[in-house]
Amino acid sequence: MSASAASSAASLSTARFLRGLVVPLIALLAWELITHYKLANVHLLASPSAVLKNLTFQIEEGELFSQLLASLRRDLTGFLLGSFAGVLFGSALGLWRIADRLLGPSFDAAKQVAVFAWIPLISVWFGNAEPAKIVFIALAAFYPVVVNVHEGIRSVSREHVEVARAFRFSRLQTFKKLILPAALPSIFSGLHLALIYSWLGTLGAEYLLAPAPGIGNLMIEGRESLAMDKVLLGVILAGLVGFSLNSVATRAESYFLRWRVRNA
Amino acid sequence: MAQVDLAYKIATADAALDSIPTEPRASESRAIDYRNLLRPALGWLVPVLTLAVWSVAARREWVPPQILPAPGAVWQTLLEQVRSGDLFLNFGISLGRVAVGFALGCLIGVALGVAMGLSRRVEDYLAPTFNAISQVPVLGWLPLAMMVLGIGESLKFVIIAHASLVPVAINTLKGIRSVPRNYIEVAEAFQFKKSQLLRRVVFPATVPAIFVGLRYGLTQAWLSLVTVELLASSEGLGFMIVWGRQLFQLDLVLSAIIVVGVVGLLLDRGLARVEKRLLRWRPVWDMTGAGS
Amino acid sequence: MSQSAVIDIRDVSKQYTVKNEVLPVLERLSLTINPGEFLSIVGASGCGKSTLLRLLVGLDREYQGEIRVGDQQVTGTSLDRGIVFQEHRLFPWLTIEQNVGLGLENSPWGEDKKKQAIKEHIELVGLTGFESAYPHQLSGGMAQRAAIARGLVNRPSILLLDEPFGALDALTRSRLQGELQNIWQREKITMILVTHDVDEAVYLGDRVVVMQPRPGRIRKVVAVDVPHPRDRSDPSLKALTEEVRAEILHVSPSN
Repeated sequence: MSASAASSAASLSTARFLRGLVVPLIALLAWELITHYKLANVHLLASPSAVLKNLTFQIEEGELFSQLLASLRRDLTGFLLGSFAGVLFGSALGLWRIADRLLGPSFDAAKQVAVFAWIPLISVWFGNAEPAKIVFIALAAFYPVVVNVHEGIRSVSREHVEVARAFRFSRLQTFKKLILPAALPSIFSGLHLALIYSWLGTLGAEYLLAPAPGIGNLMIEGRESLAMDKVLLGVILAGLVGFSLNSVATRAESYFLRWRVRNA
Repeated sequence: MAQVDLAYKIATADAALDSIPTEPRASESRAIDYRNLLRPALGWLVPVLTLAVWSVAARREWVPPQILPAPGAVWQTLLEQVRSGDLFLNFGISLGRVAVGFALGCLIGVALGVAMGLSRRVEDYLAPTFNAISQVPVLGWLPLAMMVLGIGESLKFVIIAHASLVPVAINTLKGIRSVPRNYIEVAEAFQFKKSQLLRRVVFPATVPAIFVGLRYGLTQAWLSLVTVELLASSEGLGFMIVWGRQLFQLDLVLSAIIVVGVVGLLLDRGLARVEKRLLRWRPVWDMTGAGS
Repeated sequence: MSQSAVIDIRDVSKQYTVKNEVLPVLERLSLTINPGEFLSIVGASGCGKSTLLRLLVGLDREYQGEIRVGDQQVTGTSLDRGIVFQEHRLFPWLTIEQNVGLGLENSPWGEDKKKQAIKEHIELVGLTGFESAYPHQLSGGMAQRAAIARGLVNRPSILLLDEPFGALDALTRSRLQGELQNIWQREKITMILVTHDVDEAVYLGDRVVVMQPRPGRIRKVVAVDVPHPRDRSDPSLKALTEEVRAEILHVSPSN
């Protein structure tokens, strides 16, 4: 590429990047203006500056980090539990047609019920404390893992299966050497989604079940004392953690799946 | 755009699961018809077994009846709800919300997908924000939405619309993007105007992808509806679940959950049927140009 | 290297049932393939040549008649019968070296012997230096060469090739045909090639089996008595190619 071509390509990508910032900046500005001048009848919104103030307060006096850690610990436990169960269940569905026929329809039906709808039942069956929250988070992680693992295993191409047959692979060999690696991208997709949903499940569980240290707790306290800046702070923090988890997952995915060609 | 791929994959996965061959089978001798009868019967085995165990557990009172009401009680409650009209009221409200929210979401979703797909400029402006918003599942926006919109009907419509528009937009965008270059070049060779190109080539090729998005969007709409009703409503199926819990009437909770599950299943299967029929009459477009 | 054995195909028939209609694919096909020979099977689409190959490999077990290798019935796949498909079917998450090594997964050899065999066969197909590459980094021709190496690495006595060069461009095809001939001369195993390319069939084969479709039957077996290595411009090759082509098109050859 010549120097002028390279620089015009660079300025094009800069232009594209800047264009992308337009909408978020407008939104931020609108947010500040609306809350500051009380322009619209926005019920309970706090201004960005108020949120920022609360943030510093929380870090100094509200033990923000321990709250965050508590949430993350809960999240991880539920995520691991749910993902593990999900991988087992999804693999069963994918590997044995009979399992798919028996369990598939029931799972499909259960999938139609929003995860949060189970909270009332969970709160009765498991109480309101830590175990109930973990069960719920695990449930949130379970669904996407099952769907993706199932799809990943089922979409192993027939052509490759024939290669395994030509080399007389045993069932175990076929699983280890063909099905598992071929399904890995889908498994990672499932785990990625599970990570996102389990974080949301964590917040939901903290908010809806018994109060305990955590980001959700921040929101509960804020709601109870009608301190909207606190609630909003909780929301933003939750969003940031979710965003970071997402980035970590994306990065892990591209690392483990280096051999993949990026199509489309 | 990992989330884009994710959403697309899941959406197409459900659609594709029916057609994937697993083990190489003797495709020649398929005269045995009982196999087709047996398959749906197997699917009922687990629910029936669960029902049986549940009945026994309730009768023997392995768990107190407040925690696990007998299936008979749940059925009675369901009938009562139907008789008193409560069920239809709540069901109607829920369905109405989904209808409005889903329609809204589809319109906006298709519009967004088309706009971003056809114009790189528009994509530059909208895509980063759209990606950020779509990466956060609907639930994440709920607290914020409640703050801004309160807990009225508009909250439900917005949430449901959001939930539907994300997969619809993503799939529409992908659909437009993956129209094979070959077809576009044919249109160019025949001097098609831009409008002709869009009408005769791009849109017909995109319809299957849009449908995949619609199916996934409907599922998401139903899920988010129930969730919003759980958390911020005083009527509807989701509310029934919470209300039953507050009254410690688990039979109410369970009957509501069952209705939610069944309706969701019917909606999904119904749309799948429509999709099959609609797309069977259309010429088969090869969508694998981009190596999907 | 195991001893090449005679392949005996006797009265083989196969049908497909599609929606209560019976479609015959192969009808009472009989053929004997001699050890170490290069047999080409050629014919128009739908003549069942690929189906026959799949029966030989053992990927398909539903048929009437008998297929024997030596004195053993073919009842499934075997490490003694290698196959190269039209698509390379390499595993995308494995390097070329690992892909070729796939053929030795169930081999009783020791690690050293396996490593040696892999190295030799990568060299045989001219892919030295690409051992650590992934399939998507190779061209179509190179990937297909890797597939050939994979098919040969555990030294089967028979190699079956199902339109191996069909997906490649003409120049690559030409080059790989020559390479395949060299490999065959070196390894001296039985090779059975299915193709729709008449030139390829005659250039490579000791005998060319011409099949006709609906139902699949052998129309004629043409012997190609031209010594290896062959020259494409050889007039006797050209004459034989015309003869085979005429057979396929049901036209009597002009004299």
